[in-house]
Amino acid sequence: MRLTYILLVLSLTAVAASGQNFDFERINKKAYEYAVAVNIKLEVSFGTQTSDAQIRGIGTIVTRDGLVVFDGSPLDDDSPFSIMSGMQMNIKPTSIEIVKSDGARYPAEYIGVDRFTKLGFCRITSAQPVEFKPVSFSHRRDYRVGEWLAAYLLLPEFVSPLMASDVGMISALIQVPDQFVFTVGFNQMELGSVLYDSAGYPIGVLGLLDQSAFRGMDISTLPSFTGEESVPLLGVISAEKIEKLIKDPPTKGKVDRGWLGIYLQALTADIADFWGIDTKSGIIVNEVVKDSPADSAGLQTGDIIVRLNGAPITVDKEENLPIFQKQISDFGANSRVNFEIMRRTNGTVDTIQTAAVLSPAPITPAEAPSYEDPNFEFTVRDLVFADYNVFNLDRKEFKGVMVKEVESGGWASVADIMPGYIIQSIDGEKVTSVEDAKRVLNRIAEKKPKEVVFFIWRDNKTVFVNVKTDW
Amino acid sequence: MKQLLRLKNAAILTLILLAAAWNSSTANPGNPHQQAIYSARDKVLPALVHIQPVITDFRTGKMVKQSVVGSGVIVHPDGYVVTNYHVAGKAERIICTLYDKEQVKAALVGGDPLTDIAIIKLNLNEYKGKLTVASFGNSDSIQVGQYVMAMGSPLALSRSISCGVISTTDRYFSGDVQLPSGEKTGIYNNWIQTDAAINPGNSGGPLVDLNGRIIGINSRATMFANNIGFAIPINIVKQVFHDILNRGRVIRSWVGVQCQELQNLEGWFGTGINEGVLVASIDPQSPAEAAGLLAGDVILKMDGRSVSARFAEELPVFYKMIADYPVGDTIAMTVMRGEKTFVVPVVTHELGDILGEDLECKEWGITIKSITKQMAVDNQLEDTLGVYVSGVKRVGAASDGGLRRGDVIRGINERPVDTFQEFYQQYTALTAEKAGRVLLTVRRSGSTKFILIKAEDIAREEPGSEE
Repeated sequence: MRLTYILLVLSLTAVAASGQNFDFERINKKAYEYAVAVNIKLEVSFGTQTSDAQIRGIGTIVTRDGLVVFDGSPLDDDSPFSIMSGMQMNIKPTSIEIVKSDGARYPAEYIGVDRFTKLGFCRITSAQPVEFKPVSFSHRRDYRVGEWLAAYLLLPEFVSPLMASDVGMISALIQVPDQFVFTVGFNQMELGSVLYDSAGYPIGVLGLLDQSAFRGMDISTLPSFTGEESVPLLGVISAEKIEKLIKDPPTKGKVDRGWLGIYLQALTADIADFWGIDTKSGIIVNEVVKDSPADSAGLQTGDIIVRLNGAPITVDKEENLPIFQKQISDFGANSRVNFEIMRRTNGTVDTIQTAAVLSPAPITPAEAPSYEDPNFEFTVRDLVFADYNVFNLDRKEFKGVMVKEVESGGWASVADIMPGYIIQSIDGEKVTSVEDAKRVLNRIAEKKPKEVVFFIWRDNKTVFVNVKTDW
Repeated sequence: MKQLLRLKNAAILTLILLAAAWNSSTANPGNPHQQAIYSARDKVLPALVHIQPVITDFRTGKMVKQSVVGSGVIVHPDGYVVTNYHVAGKAERIICTLYDKEQVKAALVGGDPLTDIAIIKLNLNEYKGKLTVASFGNSDSIQVGQYVMAMGSPLALSRSISCGVISTTDRYFSGDVQLPSGEKTGIYNNWIQTDAAINPGNSGGPLVDLNGRIIGINSRATMFANNIGFAIPINIVKQVFHDILNRGRVIRSWVGVQCQELQNLEGWFGTGINEGVLVASIDPQSPAEAAGLLAGDVILKMDGRSVSARFAEELPVFYKMIADYPVGDTIAMTVMRGEKTFVVPVVTHELGDILGEDLECKEWGITIKSITKQMAVDNQLEDTLGVYVSGVKRVGAASDGGLRRGDVIRGINERPVDTFQEFYQQYTALTAEKAGRVLLTVRRSGSTKFILIKAEDIAREEPGSEE
C-alpha cells in the first residue's frame, strides 16, 4: 500500500518535472542585461515618528533610456488604513540605486507607484548617456491553469551572481475583483521579477493582487480587515498592463482616475427581489455628491445603475463593488460614460438612459499638497474628499489644513498638536489651504512672536492652542 | 479550586504579616492616630454595604446580564445606600450584605451617570439587625495630606479598610471620561485623589476622614499604578442624593458651550488674570448656538456674577453653575468678543439623558437605543430622528444583512421611523406576523444604506442564545 503511494507520488513528480522544460541558460543570458537590483533608501513617517529604512528588490530595465519597473508595494502609502485612521503614513524614497548584473551601479530618480498593480517606476540618471538592452515582452492571453512559469530571485548582496532561478505554476485564473493570473510556487522575494513561459518568452512581471487598491474610493464600504485578506496573492502582471504603464508612468500626485461622485451599494438579488425589480445585479445609488458628474447626469438617491456603456453590471454583492469602482476609475477623467438606470417611483419602475462626463478622482491624503514648517516642526496638508467623509465634515462650510506630521520635541509637538488635528486659524488668520498656512507661518517667522495661538478642530470639537516659540 | 486555595494561603500570609504590624502599634495604645482610626472605623464600617447587583449590557447586540460586585454606604435611616452608578445604576436585582453579614435585598432608586452616583434602598422588612447610618462630611474643607480611610470590598473581599492620605483635592481629567457602560462622566466634578488602596470592588464605598465622616465616594482606580485612586467629593454626592430622593433624578440645564482654561491665552484674548471663561466650541443646535455665541468668546459674567476658569480644574465648577440653573431660565451672559463686551440672553434647555433607552431586538440580532440630544451631539448625528444601533450580534440576521454598530435606522420597509416608539411598534408588529424579509433604511457616514434582513437567517440562529 505504502509502496503504491510512493510510486504514485514519484510518477506525479515526474509529470510535474516534465512541465518545467525551461532553457535557463538562454533565459539567464537575456536577464543578465535587464534584471537589476534596486536599492532604495527611504524615509517613513507615521504619526509623530519618522525613521529611515532601506529596501532591496528586483527591478527590470524596460526602455533603452533606463526606465526601471520594480515592486513598488513597500512605497505605497495610499492605504485605506491611513485614510481611515487619520494617522497619515508617508513613505518618501530619498535615493535609489540600480545595480546591474555586471556590477555597474547607476543612480535613479523616483517616478511613482501605480495604485492598482503596485508597480514602482524609476529612471536611471547616469552622467553619460547609456544605451540599455531592455526586456522585450511578448503578449499572452491564453493562460492555462497548470502551466509552469519561471522567474528569478535576488540573492544577498555578498553573493555573485545577482540572481537565481525558480519555477512556479499558474494555479487559478481569478476574475473578481479583477482579472488576475494567480500563481503558486513563487515567493514575495521574487516580486518584480520577469516571468517566462515554458518557451522562454517574457510574458509579464510577478506582482501582487493588492485588494487595498480597490478599497480607498468609498470609505463607507470598506470591508473589515480579516486574516484571510492578508494572504498575499502573487501572480502575473501582464505585458499589456506594463506596456500601458511604460507609456505613461504613474507620477506621484498626478490624477487621471475617473470619478462619478456617488455613494453606492451593491444591488443583491434579495433586495432586487424585495423591490420587485427585474434584475439580479446592479449598483444602488445611496447618495449623489453635489455638483459631481453624477449630479449633472441627473442621478438620484435610490436609482439603480444596471448598465454601463451598454454592458450589464454584474455586481451583486458588496464585495464586488470594486469591479464597478475600478471600471469607473479606469475610464479616466473627462471620458463620457453611458448609464442605464432603473428608477422606482410609487411602485412603478422606469428605465432611464443618461450619460456623465467623469471628473478626475479627488486626490488622496498622500497626494494632497503639503507644507513642512521648519520653525514649528510640523507638516500640514490640504483637506481632501476622504477627510470630509471620515470626519463627517460640512463640505461647504468647513475649512482648514490637516496636521500630517509632527516632529517630536518641536514647538508644535510640545504644545500637544498631533497628526490628525485640523488647523482652522493661526494667529487669528483663517487658514483654508497649505498656501494660506505657509503665508501665515512665514509672516510669523518674520515677526518672531513669543507665542502663537492656533485654533484647532479635533474630536468633533474646536480648541485654542497656545504654542510657545523659542526663536 | 486550587487557585482559590492558593489565594487563601496568600491571604493568610498577608494576615500574619499584618498581625505583626498590628502588635507593634497596639504596643503603643496611646498613639492618637490609632485611636482616631478606631473611632472613625466604628462610625462608618457598620454602615458599609457589600453590593452584588445584576447589571445589563447591550453592547454586543444582545442583552447580557452580569453579576458584579461593588460597595456602598448607608446614609439614611430609611435604608438608602449611596453607591456608584457603574455598580448599581443599571441593576436589575441587587443583593446587599451588611456589616453583620446579613443579606438584604435592595432596589434601585435612581442614578446619575454624570457624577457616577446611584442610590439604592434596602428592603428593611428583611432585616432584623440595628441599622447604622454614616454621616456626610464636607469635601470643601479637606486638605492635601489629610488622613483618610477607604472602605469597601476590593476584589470582592468585603469589609475591608485601607488607609492613606489625600493626594490631591481637585484632580481634573481632561477629555471625556467614560463609564464602562459608555456614558460620559465627571463633567461637573473634580476628583479627590488618594493613596489609600482602591481596587476593583471598592467602587461605591466611602472615603472617610478621621472624624468618621464620609468625604467622598470611591469610584476609580488606576490600572498598573500603585495607590492612585479617585473619589467623588461628597458635596457633589449630597446634591445628587437629594435630587434623586426628591425628584427621582438629577435635572440639569444645558446651553451647549465647551470651554477651556484661559491660562496662557489671556494675552491673546485680552483678559485679566482670573477673568472670564473661554468658549472653545459650540454644540450644534444648542441654546448657545441659537444665542449667537461663537468659539473664542469669553464669558465674563452670568447674571452679574463674575465667572472665571484660568485653570482646567475650575471648568467643572463653571459647568455646574450652568447645570444648576432652572431649566428654561434665561442667563444674561456678559460676553467679551475682541474689543466688544455685550450681554446676550441664553435660554437654558434641559440637558436630558446622555444615552437613550435600550432595546434588545432578538429576532434581528441587534440592540438599539433611542437617540438623545446629547448622543446626536457626541456622535455627530444629523438629528435625533431614528434609532441608534448600539450593538450587532456577530452571528445574526442583521449582521448578515450588513448592519453595523453606529448605524441609525431611519426606516423599516421604506416607512419612516422617527422615534423609539415608532420603531418599537413596527418591530413588534413585524416579529408578531413573522415577516419573512425586512428592509431597513439606515444612515451611515452621511449616506443612506439599504439593509435586507431575512427570516431564513432568523430561523437558523443558534439555539440556546438565551442568557
